[in-house]
Amino acid sequence: MPVAIGLEGSANKLGVGIILHPPHQTADPPSPHDSAHSDDEAFSTRTQKHTSPPVQILANLRHTYNSPPGTGFLPKDTAAHHRRWVVRLVKQAMKQAKVQLEDIDCICYTKGPGMGAPLGSVAIAARTLSQLWEKPLVGVNHCVGHIEMGRAITGADNPVVLYVSGGNTQVIAYSAQRYRIFGEALDIAVGNCLDRFARVLNIPNDPAPGYNIEQLAKKGKVLLELPYAVKGMDVSFSGILARVEEMARKLETSQTSGGGPWKDDESGQPITKEDLCFTLQETVYAMLVEITERAMAHVGASQVLVVGGVGCNERLQQMMGMMAAERGGSVFATDERFCIDNGIMIAHAGLIAWRMGFRTPLEESTFTQRFRTDEVLINWRD
Amino acid sequence: MAQPPPQQPLRTLPPPFNTSAESFELIAQGAESLLYRTTFLSPAQPAALKVRPQKTWRHPTLDKRLTRQRVLAEARVLVKLSGEGIVAGGGGRKVKDPKKKNDGGGDNGGVGALRGLVPAVLALDWERGWLVTEWIDGVTVKLGIYQRDLAADEGVLRGLLGRIGRVVGLLHLAGVVHGDLTTSNMMLRPTRTPGTNADAMARAEEERGEVEVEGGLEGDIVLIDFGLATQSVSDEDRAVDLYVLERAFGSTHPKEEGQFDEVLKAYGESMGKPGKVVLRRLEDVRMRGRKKSMLG
Amino acid sequence: METVSLPHLPDYPLHICLFKDVNNAPFLRQQLLEGNTDFEYAFLDASILLSRNQVLAACFRAINDLLQDRLKSRNVHSEIVFSLSPNNNISESFRRFGVAETSRHILAVKVGGVQSQIEQHLKGSVEGNLVPLTDEQFAELRDESRLRKVYKIGATGNEAEAFVIGSMALKGS
Repeated sequence: MPVAIGLEGSANKLGVGIILHPPHQTADPPSPHDSAHSDDEAFSTRTQKHTSPPVQILANLRHTYNSPPGTGFLPKDTAAHHRRWVVRLVKQAMKQAKVQLEDIDCICYTKGPGMGAPLGSVAIAARTLSQLWEKPLVGVNHCVGHIEMGRAITGADNPVVLYVSGGNTQVIAYSAQRYRIFGEALDIAVGNCLDRFARVLNIPNDPAPGYNIEQLAKKGKVLLELPYAVKGMDVSFSGILARVEEMARKLETSQTSGGGPWKDDESGQPITKEDLCFTLQETVYAMLVEITERAMAHVGASQVLVVGGVGCNERLQQMMGMMAAERGGSVFATDERFCIDNGIMIAHAGLIAWRMGFRTPLEESTFTQRFRTDEVLINWRD
Repeated sequence: MAQPPPQQPLRTLPPPFNTSAESFELIAQGAESLLYRTTFLSPAQPAALKVRPQKTWRHPTLDKRLTRQRVLAEARVLVKLSGEGIVAGGGGRKVKDPKKKNDGGGDNGGVGALRGLVPAVLALDWERGWLVTEWIDGVTVKLGIYQRDLAADEGVLRGLLGRIGRVVGLLHLAGVVHGDLTTSNMMLRPTRTPGTNADAMARAEEERGEVEVEGGLEGDIVLIDFGLATQSVSDEDRAVDLYVLERAFGSTHPKEEGQFDEVLKAYGESMGKPGKVVLRRLEDVRMRGRKKSMLG
Repeated sequence: METVSLPHLPDYPLHICLFKDVNNAPFLRQQLLEGNTDFEYAFLDASILLSRNQVLAACFRAINDLLQDRLKSRNVHSEIVFSLSPNNNISESFRRFGVAETSRHILAVKVGGVQSQIEQHLKGSVEGNLVPLTDEQFAELRDESRLRKVYKIGATGNEAEAFVIGSMALKGS
């Protein structure tokens, strides 16, 4: 039975995962006994609608590099973090998965896109393992990893995919063996917009800036006016970031100077940090749901799958769910084990490609900061 | 005429249409609007009702703001264009006149030739999210090309492509980019109202021998669905507008794709000097489109 | 007199009379100024009207604004007068489009009511010749230069209708 180990390190998370693809013939769904192997619970029985046999997650470990509040993670420090942790994580994953070296069929790693230095340290780790263990390498597109893992976990067969993270904002639909990008952010990614806003307000990066913004937003009430930049199926966030940063500074000054609090024109309520978080979330998520809806109308799809770190956001999932329901469809989302960068998705997408005969020779086992989702030939789909 | 029953229950229509006894034929359902064929000022006058339903997933304040902005933006562009060439001092009301009329326009049938080639606004309610425009008769250009007589002279098709290019040129010259140019958003209106500018233009074409009066591709090109239109005279926006059309045309009409140059040629002629700049810019946009496949 | 039922507004029939060569415009105006409740009409100066559709579009807007509870003027009849204006100035719209001392041709519109009574009352009150409500009549009665000035247009034929109706519809945005 095919087994792969996957290494992910395109941003500030180092992930190592081990996956098993049960043979196609299995009539009975595999028992979720594997959940005991990992503190990251293996996926359970949410996949009733699955057409192909579900995958088995033998291990899914992650270690995150968090920079102090007010700062972003720098490539050099992040790469050092990954180097420091990769051996420990691989050892622990192998132990948890209870697999022997000979069980492993291939070593999958993130080829890109992402930050150069962290990608590089993980690619070196993968090459080293490949030579030590004498196993073939499979370079994986990070975005395709998210999409394939999302499909496997949720059972969404042919969804429109919204991929939203710190580095990517894309609306994707499958057509003719490619994941085609129908719309995307023209400047910065939505997660980057949230992260940078968090820095201005000194919102902690632990566990994730977006998560902390979401918690604050739950207490926000006043919706202020931000630019709303949707152009066809594309979006832009830099103008929004500039405006909301300006608001954050205005809030800070109003709190420290004697001019009294900044009040909402309509309600007379004093504006809070929570209101800014609320405003930002409501605006950017409305934009994302809107372009997703356009893509769904365009290709005639009713399913939508949300992947990527920002995809964990409950408000985004809720809005997406309402939109999909209005269109007679449904939304599929995964929890933080899978939507936040992880090794298992790299192992999964890599193993699918490996089963199709794909290998990455050592001399081609490079990494690249730029790697479009639609460059990958998806020859495992019709 | 047999009309299918409305596929949307009438209660989803905004007032006053929710209590109307008239028929509403759902023509198209996009991501954010529903298009109905109904009547308006008289039972004999068909009209297009475009409704932007509330998006419950969006914050109500934001939803109201966007609906209002979009209904108004579309109506303003259409009213501005319907005033082309007759409005004293340039463009329509409440819109900035982008450039003086001596924009160097070329062989375009004169200022105001576009008027009558976009639907007229009859009414709107930006609070309730609806817009009524005149109904444009005919088939979409897309359908026209699909159903065209393949045995006919290719000149008929070239004539059509030329008229498309000319209309887009006129639109750009009027300071508007459409934002969603496709062959589904262009109607082939069979009859011309005598005495209108469009009529004069077409007759002039015939005199110049540019149009064969055969083949089912006859008629005025009327641009519809200005839901994504913006007022702009930037070369970049104009070039992107053409690029969107080029890609949409290629994917919708692969057999005719090779003749798309006719559109660009006529565009350049109708735009005159500024057109050349836009067409050069289009090359950049195309390059970027291809290079984009290498960005992360 | 013509009674027009606008599609979508069947509960608000319009009773419309177009009078040519009216002799008692000052009297009619006086009734409006005094608030005589027998004279709840929209009295329009027909010399500044472009077309039948323009009038119907103004009526539609006024009734729809009534239904949406956002009249800018006193009642639906004054709102019809205001609806013709391309701008938000109410008193200016009354001056331009409403009946004046010097009005020669008058269009009277009544929203709702009993047709026979309205016809009788109008014929008895307006001293002028009833003519059909057609674009040809409007073309004959209108004052080209005033129409051009008010709507800021350079033409007053069919080709101006779309822009004029569109400008009316956009008013207040």
